[in-house]
Amino acid sequence: MRTIDGSGSDTGRTRLSVYAPEVVPLSLCDYIGEPACVVFFSGCDNACGYCQNSRLMKASEEHLIDLDVIEESIKRNKLISACKVTGGEPLLQPDALAELGRFVKSLGLKFGVDTNGTLPQPLKGVLPLLDLVSIDVKTALNEEAYGKITGTSNPCVGKVSESLSAVFSSNAYCDVRMVVIPGVNDSGEVIRSVAGSLRSLGYEAKACKGEASFTLAEFIPEFAFQEEFRKIRNPTSDELRSLALSSGLTNARVTHRVLGFFQKVA
Amino acid sequence: MTEVILNGKLPPPVRRSDGVIVPFDKQLIVKSLIKETQLVQTFYGGSPMKEEDAIKIAEEVEEEIRSMKLRFLSGPLIRELVSVKLLEHGFDQQRNVYTRVGMPLYDVYSIDNSEGYEAKENANLQANPETFHKKKADFLSKESYLLMIPPNVADAHLRGDIHLHDLEYWGTRPFCQDWDLRYFFYHGLMPDGTGTHTSVAGPAKHAEVAILHAAKVLGAAQTNFAGGQGFFNFTVFMAPYIMDLEEKRIHQLAQMFLYEMTQLYVARGGQPVFSSIQIESGVPKVWQAAPVVSHGKVWNDLTYGDLEDKVHLFAGALLDEYMKGDAVGKMFNFPKPEVVQRTRYWNDKNFEDIMLKAAQLSAKFGSTYYDNMIPAYRGGEDGVSCFQCCAYSFSEDGTSESFQKKIHFEDGAHFSMGGMQVVTLNMPRLAYKSGGDEARLLEILRETMETAKQALMLKYSLMKRQFDRGLIPFASQRPKGAPTAVDIDNLSSTIGFVGVNEMVEHMTGYQLHEDPSAQKLALKVVIEMDKIRKEFADSTGMKFSIARTPAESAAQRFAVSDMIHYTKFARELVKGDLEAALPRYRETRDVPIYYTNGAHVNVSSEVPLYDRLAIEQRFFPILKGGDIFHIWLGEINPDPEALLKLNRKLAQSWIGYWSHTKDITMCRTCGYVGGGLNAKCPMCGSTSVKNYSRITGYYQDVSSWNAAKKQELIDRHRVRISS
Repeated sequence: MRTIDGSGSDTGRTRLSVYAPEVVPLSLCDYIGEPACVVFFSGCDNACGYCQNSRLMKASEEHLIDLDVIEESIKRNKLISACKVTGGEPLLQPDALAELGRFVKSLGLKFGVDTNGTLPQPLKGVLPLLDLVSIDVKTALNEEAYGKITGTSNPCVGKVSESLSAVFSSNAYCDVRMVVIPGVNDSGEVIRSVAGSLRSLGYEAKACKGEASFTLAEFIPEFAFQEEFRKIRNPTSDELRSLALSSGLTNARVTHRVLGFFQKVA
Repeated sequence: MTEVILNGKLPPPVRRSDGVIVPFDKQLIVKSLIKETQLVQTFYGGSPMKEEDAIKIAEEVEEEIRSMKLRFLSGPLIRELVSVKLLEHGFDQQRNVYTRVGMPLYDVYSIDNSEGYEAKENANLQANPETFHKKKADFLSKESYLLMIPPNVADAHLRGDIHLHDLEYWGTRPFCQDWDLRYFFYHGLMPDGTGTHTSVAGPAKHAEVAILHAAKVLGAAQTNFAGGQGFFNFTVFMAPYIMDLEEKRIHQLAQMFLYEMTQLYVARGGQPVFSSIQIESGVPKVWQAAPVVSHGKVWNDLTYGDLEDKVHLFAGALLDEYMKGDAVGKMFNFPKPEVVQRTRYWNDKNFEDIMLKAAQLSAKFGSTYYDNMIPAYRGGEDGVSCFQCCAYSFSEDGTSESFQKKIHFEDGAHFSMGGMQVVTLNMPRLAYKSGGDEARLLEILRETMETAKQALMLKYSLMKRQFDRGLIPFASQRPKGAPTAVDIDNLSSTIGFVGVNEMVEHMTGYQLHEDPSAQKLALKVVIEMDKIRKEFADSTGMKFSIARTPAESAAQRFAVSDMIHYTKFARELVKGDLEAALPRYRETRDVPIYYTNGAHVNVSSEVPLYDRLAIEQRFFPILKGGDIFHIWLGEINPDPEALLKLNRKLAQSWIGYWSHTKDITMCRTCGYVGGGLNAKCPMCGSTSVKNYSRITGYYQDVSSWNAAKKQELIDRHRVRISS
């Protein structure tokens, strides 16, 4: 990807630059059900200690790249059926995201985004372009718990709820994703609280149409950003399964290395 | 009697290797020289020794012995003295056949300790008593065959111009075979091929017996062949045995077969049979109207087309059982599941479940192989074709006159597809020798292919003779006068190649993925190879093919021999960890350097998969599929639905055979089996773990890989790293 030059822009539109230091041309684990190209936008408004992509937390000058370059590589890629933008927090660069979304859609590919949900306004702006929103719920949706896990003083829990609600009433598929970290957010209480919030925001109606899922993911200590998180064990697949069941949510899924690939629990 | 009395004049008595001590007798030397040097005529068409020459040699040897004042003599020692005299007098060929073969005691001892000689030659071999025995036999065999084959061929192999595969079996075993199960379902089973040393079973009448016969066929076959053994059309031919069974029993049978094939731990010095099965989801067009052959008869009121539902069920059951793994959750690495791709299976919703299960199996263990019949060069719906061993493709097109007879099992006519022998060319060396001149490169290619042809023709005549004399008895069996199980004339003589990437790198300055000029030259050379292949086939009437070689050890051996003979060029080109290899490569071949397989792109190059696909798929039609496209998965948890969609796209490419390789860690303490290569168990922290990945064309424990393949595993550029 880095070797492709950005020439050949004959569209006449303004060339957009974007903080996007990495492109994975083909991934089989980032876009639900589709082989996808994954674009990593850098810069994030959270600082989660278990982040697996902490190198992308800050957007730096050397991350800047012409959007054309990314678009050109997507255009040549005949093996994908979707493009997913992740990060970092992609919605911090809403213009580039929307521009990329329009391009991706024009190729007939699906377009998706990973977000932490703290930016409902920009999200609503790009929602019409989105086929998939994977939205992180870190723990029970209350300021204290959320602040602790995301490493920020103002975790914007209200905004996360607003984002969820917006996606639930949109046409995009919504995967609500929670990384289960033993001793941090793995109690039945937390899961039930999250499930309660999701229900009140409209999850069930969406899930019953087959347009939403709740995915509990294995926390992988080796990949964690902070030392203290690297000392925590990973949850077992049985723990994930029983938590997923106790959520009582439709389309609850778990993903764990032991399983080989995600499995539907309920 | 160990004391030997010397009188200072007579040579001491001789300890002979057949277990007696006898007085020295030079007449015995004369006799043995005359008798044994007759092989000069057999092997090289030269002359045996004349009696007067033999007498002269014997006399000189006696004199030599007297002057040496030895305290004892042995048969082997005298033989070596004779050999030296033969060389002194210019009897080189006579010396070749007169010499002993064997190995230093030190090496024998090392083998028993699972070290030394070719300890990592074949990852499928585990350290155990059978293996140690095999290693010693292999050494003896290889050394002797190198003396028996014409010196120009032997030298080409030893210098590393070419690689004669499975040399230990040169004079005894053909390479690989895909069997027609109908043969055994009609005639029954005699594992020794003659029914004299084993019991003789009638045709299977029950499903369990059919499964056991199928497993035993491959086990017995492995004693006759050097390489992989498999069944094409496995699910179709099994169908008549499961037609009255309910789903649960069909699953039970599928599981039974997988256990048989991974626990029948008897092949070639203690290893599982290198086996594969072709999994059809339905009944291919050519088999639809063919009469069912099973239970000892050809049915006149039942065709395979009638059994399509059962074929479908059995395919699904097999994939389910593969997915479960064994009792500790470990994958079944054999028989390799070759899931057939046909337009119908992709377009008919009915078969979606099989395509999805195949993808799920890839996502979980990486085990699935995709045998793509869709590209035109595979013969489409009108032929019969299969993949064998690590990725050789064999086929019969529907136009041959015997084809319909075989489909209908007329007079016992059946299919027999397989390989006779593989000889691989060291492609980078062609480039070094050419001095960078393209025309010269093609000339040297032809010369080297001529040497390969000479070797392959010799192999064919050897095997033909052994076969006709009943010395490959399982293959040549003829129960009740039926046609022989294997059609020895239909086995393909394969010319393989390694290092096209490094060849073009030397010629053009670019690796395959770096510049179109490199790809262009690679295609030109491979097309030229195919042209020469065709000339060979036309002029000899033999079946020749060209293919990317798995080259589990050849890719390393060529790199090392070029480091020895073409150091200046090779050190610029060999892949892997040259630094680590440099201090050791003159002592041992097992160092972490290699050439890229076949016409593949350098495994470590960070090219997107679609670019690699675009390059590598172009070689498939020329090789008629004799190639494999590797997808190295970096995902720990790939999404099967996404993988399914990728497969659909690959099925529409020219790729005839592909697999997704998922690296697996298995913990022996807590039983964890999951994605990734880990030195410690990610669940319990135990260091008692085994890592598994795909080596060339099969899965095996990484610790048994050779140093070059281990390095390649590290170097592989994966689709997506992390979760």
